[in-house]
Amino acid sequence: MTRKWLSIAKAEFYVLTSSFRSHRTVTVASMYALAIVWAAYLAPTIMGFIIQSLIPMSQIRLLLMSMFPGLMRTVMLFLWILLLLYPLSFALQEIKIGQWEIFLSNNVRTKDIIIGTFAGKIPFYGLVVVILAPLMISPFMLAFEVSFLGQALVYSAIAAMVLSTIWLSNFVTALVQARLGDSPRGNDIAKALTFVIALIVIVPMYGVMFFMPVLSDILGMNAFLLMPFTWPADLVSWIAIAFNGIGLTGSQILGFGAILQLDMWTSLLLTAAFGLVWVPIALSAADRVFTISAGVRTETVTTVGRENFVIRGVRRAAKGSFGALTVVSLKDFGRKVQNISKILYGVVLAVVLPIIMSQIAVYDGDTVTAMDILPMIGIMIGVVGVFPFAGTGFLESKDQLWIIRSAPSGASRFMRARLASGFLLAFPLSLAPSVVVSVMFALEPLMALQMIASSYIIVCGAVMVSMGMTAQNPNYEDTKSPAHQSVLIGSMLLTQFTLIAPLFIDIFFSIALDVNIFRVIENIFGVDGFWFTQAIMGPVALLLMGGLMLFLGVRSLGKVEV
Amino acid sequence: MTGNGIVIQTEALNKTFGPVRAVVDLDLEVRAGSRFGFLGPNGAGKTTTVRILSGLLKQTSGRGKVCGLDIDTQRDEIKAITGLLPESPGLYSKLSAVEFLEFIGALNDHNGESLMKRIDALLGMLGLEGRQDDLLESYSSGMKQKVLVASTLLHEPKLVFLDEPTSRLDPSASALVKDLILVLAEETETSFFICTHMTSFAEDVCDVIGILNEGELVTLGSPEDIIQAAHVSDLEEAYLQIVGGQVDREALLAWR
Repeated sequence: MTRKWLSIAKAEFYVLTSSFRSHRTVTVASMYALAIVWAAYLAPTIMGFIIQSLIPMSQIRLLLMSMFPGLMRTVMLFLWILLLLYPLSFALQEIKIGQWEIFLSNNVRTKDIIIGTFAGKIPFYGLVVVILAPLMISPFMLAFEVSFLGQALVYSAIAAMVLSTIWLSNFVTALVQARLGDSPRGNDIAKALTFVIALIVIVPMYGVMFFMPVLSDILGMNAFLLMPFTWPADLVSWIAIAFNGIGLTGSQILGFGAILQLDMWTSLLLTAAFGLVWVPIALSAADRVFTISAGVRTETVTTVGRENFVIRGVRRAAKGSFGALTVVSLKDFGRKVQNISKILYGVVLAVVLPIIMSQIAVYDGDTVTAMDILPMIGIMIGVVGVFPFAGTGFLESKDQLWIIRSAPSGASRFMRARLASGFLLAFPLSLAPSVVVSVMFALEPLMALQMIASSYIIVCGAVMVSMGMTAQNPNYEDTKSPAHQSVLIGSMLLTQFTLIAPLFIDIFFSIALDVNIFRVIENIFGVDGFWFTQAIMGPVALLLMGGLMLFLGVRSLGKVEV
Repeated sequence: MTGNGIVIQTEALNKTFGPVRAVVDLDLEVRAGSRFGFLGPNGAGKTTTVRILSGLLKQTSGRGKVCGLDIDTQRDEIKAITGLLPESPGLYSKLSAVEFLEFIGALNDHNGESLMKRIDALLGMLGLEGRQDDLLESYSSGMKQKVLVASTLLHEPKLVFLDEPTSRLDPSASALVKDLILVLAEETETSFFICTHMTSFAEDVCDVIGILNEGELVTLGSPEDIIQAAHVSDLEEAYLQIVGGQVDREALLAWR
């Protein structure tokens, strides 16, 4: 009898390695061989060389040793996020319920599906960990002069943490897919969840970027002893301490104990228990929670209700076919939960940034004014405008494009309506972050109004850039496609660089021509040059760039295929 | 329409995709008010021909006129007086049938009360009146096809391109579409250019049939003429004789 889980694992592995399918065996074997050489020899040697050439180990050793427990927890937090949320986030973007139906119609047990998909993922994520872990671990292994056995134990602890996290991630992913893939609505919610999950990843990353010292303090708090990533992190710290080659004294070990709080055996027990608990839970729950019943998908029917006051307002304001197209465009955009989720995601990011920046200043004993962070806020608001409109939320399929093109000037009419709906959505998008900034920095009413107006123009410009770029390279809702990635990244970069371009022009003029543009502006308009560059010139430049992108987008969308 | 009552006229129309020759030297004339059936195996070039004629795709060489309008220079004018039912449904999942049809109407510059009345009438005729406010994501493929049929006819085109119009429909819905085509052709002089694999449908509906094989038009005539010329009893047998595709019983079991 064939082992069904093995067939599923193979299929999963083939999918993960599809980009080099023509030389799969050779490539995978070579990558593993290189990764092992990297982890065992190259990474410690290179890291040792770099540290030694910057600061001698004797001088940095104490610093590395004191950083180790806190940093280990941070590293494990990110490994946890990577392994738990990244696959989950990807799985949510594309619910593969059809595959499940094929499995189940071939009498495959749900246990086999879970074990198979888990086993199929291990080689890929294992490789990622083997490559990344030594980069973070090596300096500390060198600082503690951990013995070979100790290093083997450290990597074993990391491997155990990786396996248990992938298992948990696999279990949750399968559960979510089975539950949410049942209906179009569920599928929609799954896509929306993708961005909520992404937010959970992004916010700590901002934390690390902007206030590492604060985060380190937070990670030392007792509350984190409850987090499963803390246990393997502390276990690794204890192994490094126990197998050190530098002769740590009893008081030094007690010092580490005070920081880590839980001893080595408790950390080991909790790490092992966490991994072991999920295996029986997932296996016993498998056939109960993952029952995909026929017919569920067709039972969910959503009937549209009466048009709300916004839609009625748009209809009254814009009569004719343009108004009708704008209304339909708004409905189509607003009913996709993932679009609303993306808007929330962007707004949260734009709100979080000034809060974090002001907190850093408070931590450092400084004060920050809105003017200090104006360029950063402008860029963040630009991101808010790009994110919901770049790549997705445009055309669901190529067939839709054929329908639009089959109308006279169809592409141009379609784009005008999409743009109008984008400009309408720009109101709430720009208002939320600019009001938060105005309140947080206690701006004068006039300044606050300027901030709101400037934010609205930036979001409109970003919408134009995003829609124009998407029209040039539509991805038809496939968020994994290269088209989606390139449109999203391209729109982000173009928006951000256009917004700060006037600053670069000023720097260029100052250096090359010895002309201070800020002063010129101040002399002509009687206003602050830096403020004018950021609040007026940047947004205007973005509008112009948006206009150009839209022109190219309409031309590309409406072109006759060759 | 040209003065001589021809709605489609092509001369040596060619379309290549890299090494693949999708349409080869197509010379075609379709009379106004006729129901032209375009038959051929998968990948024969039927959809490509429709896309060229409806102004969506540029031919590699050759010339063509649709309703007297040049397919190279008057694409928007052609789109304004033709309707296209694409092969696969490109519907907006988050719109209701009424909203989708309003969208298509607006793309063709129709709106207001008259458009809504026409939408209601079309949906009622196609048996969707009870589901017209449900989101299209909950529709079956046959229901989606009906919505697309309605969208194709919404702006009263003079010439309608139908690419596999009944492939997803149940027998009663197919019969409805069949009758709709016949009535529109007889009462309103609407011309139909129908791509299909369904020989029985073509035999019942079309007055002229063209069979395309590997991009070349290999047969042209009325269904009766084609059947007589092939010395068979129906269009399916004639089609299989012309295009090939009959496999003996032994070959059917050879894979086991």
